[in-house]
Amino acid sequence: MLRIFLTAALGVCACCFLAVAVRPRDISARARKLHFSSIVVDTHDDTTQRLLDEKFDLGARHTDGSIDIPRMREGGLDAIFFSIWIPSKITGREAVSRALAQIAAVREQVRAHPKDLVLATTAAEVRVAHKQGRIAALMGVEGGHMINSDLDVLRNFASLGVRYMTLTHSGNDEWADSSTDTAAHNGLSDFGKEVVREMNRLGIIVDISHVSDKTFYVALEVSKAPMIASHSSCRVLCDVPRNMTDQMMKDLAAKGGVIQINYHVGFLSQEFRNAEKANPEINKAIGEEVQKRCGGDEACQLLEGDRLTREHVERGELPRVDWKQIIEHVDHAVKVAGVDHVGLGSDFDGANMPYGMEDASKLPKITDALLKKGYSEDDVKKILGENTLRVMAEVERVSRELSKQPQK
Amino acid sequence: MRRILVILCVSVCISRGFFLSRTVSADEIAARAKKLHFSSIVLDTHDDTTQRLFSKDFDLGKRNLDGHVDIPRMREGGMNAIFFSIWIDGRIMGPPAVEKALDQIDAVHENVLKYSKDLVFCRTAEEVRRAHAQGKIAALIGVEGGHMIGNDIRVLRMFGDLGVRYMTLTHFYNDEWADSSTDKPAHNGLTDFGREVVREMNREGIMVDISHVSDKTFSDALEVSKAPLIASHSSCRALCNHPRDMSDDMIKALAAKGGVIQINYERSFIDQAYKDAYDKVSGGVVAAMEKITKECSGDEDCTSRKLRELQTQMEASGTLPRVSWERIVEHIDHVVKLVGPDYVGLGSDFDGATMPDGMEDCSKLPKITEALMRKGYKDEDVRKILGGNLLRVMEQTEKVSSELRAQ
Repeated sequence: MLRIFLTAALGVCACCFLAVAVRPRDISARARKLHFSSIVVDTHDDTTQRLLDEKFDLGARHTDGSIDIPRMREGGLDAIFFSIWIPSKITGREAVSRALAQIAAVREQVRAHPKDLVLATTAAEVRVAHKQGRIAALMGVEGGHMINSDLDVLRNFASLGVRYMTLTHSGNDEWADSSTDTAAHNGLSDFGKEVVREMNRLGIIVDISHVSDKTFYVALEVSKAPMIASHSSCRVLCDVPRNMTDQMMKDLAAKGGVIQINYHVGFLSQEFRNAEKANPEINKAIGEEVQKRCGGDEACQLLEGDRLTREHVERGELPRVDWKQIIEHVDHAVKVAGVDHVGLGSDFDGANMPYGMEDASKLPKITDALLKKGYSEDDVKKILGENTLRVMAEVERVSRELSKQPQK
Repeated sequence: MRRILVILCVSVCISRGFFLSRTVSADEIAARAKKLHFSSIVLDTHDDTTQRLFSKDFDLGKRNLDGHVDIPRMREGGMNAIFFSIWIDGRIMGPPAVEKALDQIDAVHENVLKYSKDLVFCRTAEEVRRAHAQGKIAALIGVEGGHMIGNDIRVLRMFGDLGVRYMTLTHFYNDEWADSSTDKPAHNGLTDFGREVVREMNREGIMVDISHVSDKTFSDALEVSKAPLIASHSSCRALCNHPRDMSDDMIKALAAKGGVIQINYERSFIDQAYKDAYDKVSGGVVAAMEKITKECSGDEDCTSRKLRELQTQMEASGTLPRVSWERIVEHIDHVVKLVGPDYVGLGSDFDGATMPDGMEDCSKLPKITEALMRKGYKDEDVRKILGGNLLRVMEQTEKVSSELRAQ
């Protein structure tokens, strides 16, 4: 009886503890104050896929996924790059029109929620939004295949507000090699170099997440503006091609760029990665189940993939990855590249989130952890968003300079 | 001898006197016209120059031997505000239409950037006035044909965000929500979605352009729109009975709601004899265009150019009569007589139509000002026709837009 009682009490207490653990009380007052007065920028959110479903209301709190306005508010997320993404295998004009549909969907959300959201295309506009208490909505195109090898399309993206473009997604495009495909262009083709130069001129940040190491170096050489990795982590901590080596981070930093740490468990944890590799049937099973449940619906694929991965973790078939691994990657990148060259690129709604970082409402924990590690408030602010804003401002400056062409 | 002398003297005296008084008066008007023209905002609401921006042989910043518009000739003609027309064939629909339209919008923005010393992109009447004060040419954008929104109101909004300031509801063919004046009626004017498009244009501050639409579409749009409408490039049906032109009743109804008809200089829209002859030889402009479009396999610049070439050839061979630029003034005058000087302006259709003799390109525009003054028009009325009326509609459209957005 006693034993039962004790167990029950323990059980209850454990519940209490768990509940408390995610409550703001767990976060120091100093961290809260700092977090909610800083501009918190996330450079990669796949929420856009969900926006294509007209029934999805970004203004309502959801029990699935990681992003909506209430949870952004709760987590103090002030600026979000909505990722424009379609799979690499979709190419040509279909890729262009589907990308345009996603751009339109983001713009419609801004329209539908004028009190909470405002479209921002410059660092200054992000700051104004923050002052007004509105969330800055920005756009990044995740994969150069969406321009259909046409600079006119790239320029249209820029006019419509796109402010970064990832040169590839998981597959090579016609002019750049991906880190997860067989090299075909020795990095960037001549046209690929032209794309990078045009991005500089238009003020679109060159994003080297997803690209091969060679593409990264060629882009670094060609680009006149600093680059970002919008959602990549550290390869030395988790050896996957999607992450950056220490040398790459140093070289990125030397040219003023920023690595935005990705929270995907498979990019954070070597243990998780090893388990995935050792049990390829798990990923295969997840893939098949996702296909069965979702067909070609990308929003569904992303959410179900996350859900199914968690189920395997719960069953003990894959290791449990804690959110604190994010801090380890941030800290490593700071040690290697410097505190001016690290930021946040969650991959919310597009990846498998670690325990404790299920959604945007959990972001203050990062601020708290960094302060507890002894980071200065100024340095934390840089990581939360100031570094990204600095790159944006610099990219804008380069764009203005390149646009000043002498008139014939 | 004496007699001869006397006659000579008299004739010299008379002719000198007559000559002098005539020249003085003519010079005076010419000088006043020149002064008035070059101090006014001269706004043209329809120029198909956009399609030429894609041609490697064309440079907007240089004086070109062909075509009607480039910066040097705009400067020479005192044309300081231009609506670049975004146009693709009305049979291209859906996403490809949207993309091609976006490409053209981009080309306008790129050229404004390239020639930023001469051009400045404008979205409001106030910006046009500021451009004029700075000695720059105001570049604006109009979309010629509702088919380019791909039946998607969100695309219309994107166009608005990208600076589009009018949209012609159709081109030569019906789109899926509005009937064209040169196609078989399919929607009895505007469909429900078509009405929604008009309301959204009001909200976005995009002027509703009823050039090209059927008479029923015009009256539907007039009923739905909360802002005045424009006909960006149409002339008077009473002078030339073409479905692309407006009847007197339509002009009156347009004016009653504060709108403006911007006179088109196309020969077959301003001259009845020309139109009749043209219809006879080619089966009408649409049939001619269909044939040429096929030959040009979708290249819009080629289509416009070939259409003009065809007409030029037919004129040279005498198949088509010649048309004088003075017809343009007759059309303006007709509207003024009908509804007063507040409801008419200029919508040349340069680079998209065949120009009458004497109006070969935009450098010839001062002739219109002079002709109106010779007709006894007051300076302020001439200024209205040259651009003031259209700016008034723009302002009104902006006002309606901010009211609707505030709701």
